[in-house]
Amino acid sequence: MAASLSRQKLLREWKLYLFVLPSLALVLTFAYFPAASAVYHSFFEWAGGDTKQLIGWDNFRRAAHDQVLIEAFFTVSVLIVFNLFKMIPSILLAVLIHRLRSDRWQYVYRVLLVVPMIVPGLVTLFIWKFFFDPNLGVLNGLLDFTGLKGGLVWLDQALGWGVFYANVPIGWLSQPELILPSLFLWGFPWIGAVGVLIFLAGLQSIGQDVYEAAELDGVGPLGKFLYIELPLILTQVRLMLVLLIVGTLGGYGLQLQLLNEYGGPGGRGMVPGLWMYNRAFYAGEFGYACAIGMILFAFILVLTFVNNRYVRIEK
Amino acid sequence: MSPAAPTLTSAWRRDWPKHLLILSFILIELFPLYMMFQVSFKDNATFIRQPWLPANPLAWHWENWSFAFHLILPYIANTVFVAVTGTVCSLFLAILGAYFFARHKLPFSGLLWAAFLALMLMPGVVNITPLFMLLKSLKLLNTLWALVLVGIAGGQVFNIFVLRNFIEDLPRDLFEAAEMDGASHLQQVINIVIPMSGPIIGTLAILSFLGMWNDFLLPLIVLRDQDLFTLGVGLIYLDGEYVKQWGQIMAAYFVASIPLIVVFLFTMRLFVRGLSAGAIKG
Repeated sequence: MAASLSRQKLLREWKLYLFVLPSLALVLTFAYFPAASAVYHSFFEWAGGDTKQLIGWDNFRRAAHDQVLIEAFFTVSVLIVFNLFKMIPSILLAVLIHRLRSDRWQYVYRVLLVVPMIVPGLVTLFIWKFFFDPNLGVLNGLLDFTGLKGGLVWLDQALGWGVFYANVPIGWLSQPELILPSLFLWGFPWIGAVGVLIFLAGLQSIGQDVYEAAELDGVGPLGKFLYIELPLILTQVRLMLVLLIVGTLGGYGLQLQLLNEYGGPGGRGMVPGLWMYNRAFYAGEFGYACAIGMILFAFILVLTFVNNRYVRIEK
Repeated sequence: MSPAAPTLTSAWRRDWPKHLLILSFILIELFPLYMMFQVSFKDNATFIRQPWLPANPLAWHWENWSFAFHLILPYIANTVFVAVTGTVCSLFLAILGAYFFARHKLPFSGLLWAAFLALMLMPGVVNITPLFMLLKSLKLLNTLWALVLVGIAGGQVFNIFVLRNFIEDLPRDLFEAAEMDGASHLQQVINIVIPMSGPIIGTLAILSFLGMWNDFLLPLIVLRDQDLFTLGVGLIYLDGEYVKQWGQIMAAYFVASIPLIVVFLFTMRLFVRGLSAGAIKG
């Protein structure tokens, strides 16, 4: 009965399949096929041409002993921890804006927040690269201007870092020891407009009366944050967390542009994605690059499952 | 208006520490923009003498801007082509796809849906190596169409996902009434779905436009000819020059931002609202 019904429907509505066909064709060609091709080619030694040689698990064995790749995974974990810290200002700003009593100002600040988004991401990145410039850069200028450089030099002497010297401009992106700190500093004060707007959407459900009740009970600003605001935006925080971890783990555009295809001096900024890119497009080792991609994919998949299992996102 | 005025001032009196904090956040956030703007009118010598404050307007180096316009305009044209074609096609196909999933349960639609959803787990960047080889064998390397096609394909999953939920929430009666009147599916899409999902389509359009506008990883490996460069690649080449005229470079950055300024002027409201309310509920 059900089968014949759906067959009738099929005969009547078969044209509807044409609706989904273009999307499906595109997705199959440009997403599924490359993915399958990556799995296939990760077992080959392949320079991108017509000749390729099946080498079994050799690419993966090589990856397991690839010191660069292992360090890259370590670096990317550090970057993920950095990025978790960098979520805090957006949350604070969203809470601050939400606590304003005037709706008009709330809207004004939202608009002001969106303004930096008119600058293409790449331009923001290059402006920061310019800020980091040792001789002309804004960062060194600011440190000299405020006298903070003296403090850094003093700290350096006290702790024996050997990084900051009084009369030498600081090479933020050229001294290996400073690569990770620079990647941390990048984008200060770390406000993501999209993040703030999403958090604000979560906060919207808190009415003014809740605050008034809390004030009557003598709940302080910190208490309000912990007991009223944070629980309500937890869904959004988790969502951003997932996006951020997956994005950082697979990303390499930042490192490629801020540093170079080798992750900067000493390879301190090398991340797995960048190493994959480097192997494919600078060394021509497409097979090995596919294998790195597979390993990366496995990590992302595991993290996604962990997220889905333990960090539920309610709609 | 008159009863609002006193509350506004009292709100200010009680909230000024918050305003101060928010403003300082936002000022630091806008500082790169300020630097970009004021440096764009200086030559290197002026900049080294006075990095912080804007130069005297009478001594502004407008030639930085004309240099930037000549350099960037072709890149912008290419990027506009890619981003606009990509966004329009991507959304149109996604609406059709979402309609298919939302309105009828046909055989295999569950399977197809799973096929789309599975892609959400697949990070696009990991695929870049085989994608490059695929484009090579399709003879699409060094063409803008490669960027358009990959852009459309990349947007399908998220757009269909959001639009399906939205279309399912539209009142059924509308579709049934239209079917009674003999409207075809395409007519239903054009006359019911598209007019009724304006804001969500707008938000998705902005997101997908921004995504394609800002992409530089794919263009970097696909494009070779300078005539075909999109903004991303163009700016990377500009950054790679040895002797840098910072004024010219900053002017180029500013020119590169102008199209987005125009887009945002028209869609600011939609963006601020849409992102705050609709899109994320998914």
